[in-house]
Amino acid sequence: MSTLTAAPITAPTIEYGELAPMLIIFGAAMIGVLVEAFTPRYLRKSIQMPITVLSMVGAFALTVWQGVRGVRSAAAMGAIAVDGPSLFIWGAILLLAIVSVLLINDDDHFVAEAAAVPGSAEEDQALSQGGAHTEIYPLVLFAVGGMMLFPAANDLLIMFVALEVMSLPLYLLCGLARRRRLLSQEAAMKYFLLGAFSSAFFLYGTALLYGFAGSVDLKAIATALSTVGGQDALLFIGAATLGVGLLFKIGAAPFQAWKPDVYQGSPTPITALMASGTLIAAFGALLRVFWVALGDLDAEWTPVLWGVAILTMVVGAVLAITQTDIKRMLAYSSIAHTGFLLTAVVATGKESQNANALSGILFYLLAYGFATVGAFAVVTMVRDPGGEAGHLSRWAGLGKRSPLLAGIFALFLLAFAGIPLTSGFFGKYAVFAAAVAGGAVQLVIVGVVTSAMAAFFYVRVIVLMFFSDPAPEGPTIAVPSMGTAAVVTLSAAATVVLGVFPQPVLDLAHTAAQSLFVR
Amino acid sequence: MTTHYLVLSALLFAIGGVGVLVRRNAIVVFMCVELMLNACNLAFVTFARQHGNLEGQIIAFFVMIVAAAEVVVGLAIIVTIFRTRRSASVDDANLLKY
Amino acid sequence: MELYVPILVLAVLAAGFAVFSVGIAPFTGPKRWNRAKLDGYECGIEPTPQPVGGGRFPLKYMITAMLFIVFDIEIIFLYPWAVAFDKLGVFGLVEMVLFIVTVLVAYAYVWRRRGLDWD
Repeated sequence: MSTLTAAPITAPTIEYGELAPMLIIFGAAMIGVLVEAFTPRYLRKSIQMPITVLSMVGAFALTVWQGVRGVRSAAAMGAIAVDGPSLFIWGAILLLAIVSVLLINDDDHFVAEAAAVPGSAEEDQALSQGGAHTEIYPLVLFAVGGMMLFPAANDLLIMFVALEVMSLPLYLLCGLARRRRLLSQEAAMKYFLLGAFSSAFFLYGTALLYGFAGSVDLKAIATALSTVGGQDALLFIGAATLGVGLLFKIGAAPFQAWKPDVYQGSPTPITALMASGTLIAAFGALLRVFWVALGDLDAEWTPVLWGVAILTMVVGAVLAITQTDIKRMLAYSSIAHTGFLLTAVVATGKESQNANALSGILFYLLAYGFATVGAFAVVTMVRDPGGEAGHLSRWAGLGKRSPLLAGIFALFLLAFAGIPLTSGFFGKYAVFAAAVAGGAVQLVIVGVVTSAMAAFFYVRVIVLMFFSDPAPEGPTIAVPSMGTAAVVTLSAAATVVLGVFPQPVLDLAHTAAQSLFVR
Repeated sequence: MTTHYLVLSALLFAIGGVGVLVRRNAIVVFMCVELMLNACNLAFVTFARQHGNLEGQIIAFFVMIVAAAEVVVGLAIIVTIFRTRRSASVDDANLLKY
Repeated sequence: MELYVPILVLAVLAAGFAVFSVGIAPFTGPKRWNRAKLDGYECGIEPTPQPVGGGRFPLKYMITAMLFIVFDIEIIFLYPWAVAFDKLGVFGLVEMVLFIVTVLVAYAYVWRRRGLDWD
C-alpha cells in the first residue's frame, strides 16, 4: 500500500500578464452575463456588442504585444504554454472571431425566444417584440476563450476543461437559428451527443496516460515515454482514445459524421465561427499532444495518422461532389481540408522539419479561416422566402443577377481549391512541401489527386453561378448590413492579400513556429 | 490490487459506450455518456492511489464539475427538442441528411 | 484533549444556531394559515394517484433540479482549499474569492432572469 507523503504545499504562481488575452475574453464574458442580468432588454444589444468587439480587439492587441516582446514560456506552473505557436493561434482565432462577431451581430439569424416551441403563439409574440437572445454574445466570448485555452493547454486536464469550455457554448449556439428551427435543434442535439461521447474518449485517454506517466503534464508524459517500461497497454490505448477525442474535434474521418449535419443546421454566423475558430484551436491541441507528449512515439502513431489523412481527404472530396446543399458542401470541403492539413502533421522528423511543417499548418489555418468565414457570410445573403437558399440549384445564374456577390463567392471557392493568386495556393503549397520534405510523398500524391477532385466541385458551383440561366423565381440577394458587408470585404481582402503578398504572414508563421511548442 | 478497479472502470466505460451506440432515447444516451465520464473518474482515482499522488483525485473533481455543466446544457437541448417534436428518440431526428 | 476543542466549539455553534433559528422564527416570520398548510403532509404534491411510469411533470421541477446540481457541485472546490487553507495563504484566498465571484455572476443571472421564481 502506498501512502501519500505530506509534502509541503507552496502557493503556485500565475503569470497574469502572459495570460492576459484569455483573461480579458473570459472577464468580458462574465461582464456580458451581468449585463444580461441587470440591464433592460432594449439596451442589452447596444452594450453587449461593444463589450464583445472591444475585448477581442484588446486581447488581440495584447497578443501582438506579447509576440513583439518575445514571451516564450509556460505560464501557471507549466499548465498553459504561451509560446510562439500559441500566440499565432490566439491572434488568428481572435481575428476570425472579430470578423465572425460582425456577422453574428445581424440578429436576423437568431431565434427570438429559444424556449418557445416553433410555430407557437409564444414564438410569434417574441418575434413581434423584435430582437434576439443577446446571450449569444457572452456565449461566443466563452467559446472563443475556450478556443484560446485549448491549443495553449500544456496539460491534459486543462486541455479537457478548455475542450468543454469551447464546446458547451457552441452546442447551445447551434440550436439558436431563427429559421428552420427543427434543423437547428436537431443539429444542436447531434453535436451535443456526439461531442459529449468524444470528450468521454478524450478523458479516458487522459486517465490511461495519467496511469502510465503518473502525471497529466505533457512534458512529464514525454519524459515517461523513455523512463517507464512495461506499461505499453496503458500507453497505447491511452494515446489511441485521446487521439479519437482530438480527431473528432478536427472532424477527421472516420469521426467526421457530425460536421455536415452541424454545419448545415446551425445559424450560418455560428457555422462561420465554428468552421474557422474551432478547427484552428483543435489543430493546435492535436499538434501539441502528438508532438510534445507523444513525440517519441511517432513510430507508432504516424502510420495511423497516414491512414486517417488519406481517408479524410478521400471522404471529404468524394462526398462533397454528391452534395446539393451549399452549407453541406462547404462542410465536406472542410473535411477535405482537414485531411490536407493532416499530411503535414504526419511529416515529423528533425526540429527544422517540424518547424517547417508547423509554419505551413499555421499559415494554412489562417488562410482557410478567412476564406471560410467569407464564404459563409455570402451564404447568409442569398435568401429564399423561408430563409437562406441552401439548395445548390437555387444558386444557378447568380452571376447574372448579382455579379459582384457571385464573383466574391467564386474567389473564396478558388481559394479553397488552391488556385494561384489566392491564399489557398500558398497554404496548400506550404503544407504539401513540408509533407514531401518529411518523406510523406505518397500522402502528397493522394492530396494532389483529391485536391483536383475538390477543385471539380468548386468549379462546378462557379460554372453553375455564371453559365446557367437564373431560375425564374430565384432567390433574392439580401441587402447586406454594415457588418455583413464588412465581413465579406475583409475576408475577400485577406484572401487576395494572402494570395498575392503572402511573405509577411508566411514569415510571421515561420517565426512563430521556430520555437516549436515549449516543452 | 488496483487492477480490479481498472477492470471495473474499463467495463463501465464499455457499457457506457455500447449504450450510447444502441439506445434510442436521447436522455438514456446521455446517461450512458455520464457513465463513461464516471468510469474515467474511477480510473483517475485508482491511478492516484497507485502512483501515490493527489493529481488524479483533483482531476476527478474537475471532471465532476464539467459533467454537471454538461448535464445542464444537454438536458436544456434535449428538453427543447422534446417540446418541439414530442419525442426524445434520436431516430426521429432525421431531417439532416445527405 | 485539545484536539477536540474545535469540534466542541463547532458542535456548540451548530446547536446554538439551530436553537436560535427555530426560536426566533415564530417572532419574525409572517403567519398565514390556509387549508393547504393544515393538510396532511405529502411532499408538496397533490396526493392523487399518478399515471404509470410517473407521467409528465412540469418543467420547473427540472429547472430547479438543474440549478441545484450546477451550483451545488461548484462547492467541491472549496474542500481541497479548506484543507490547505493556511498553507496557501493570501494567494489561495484571492483565487477562491475570484472563483466564488464567478459563481455569483451566474447566480445573479439566474436570480434576475427569474430562474428562482416558482411561478
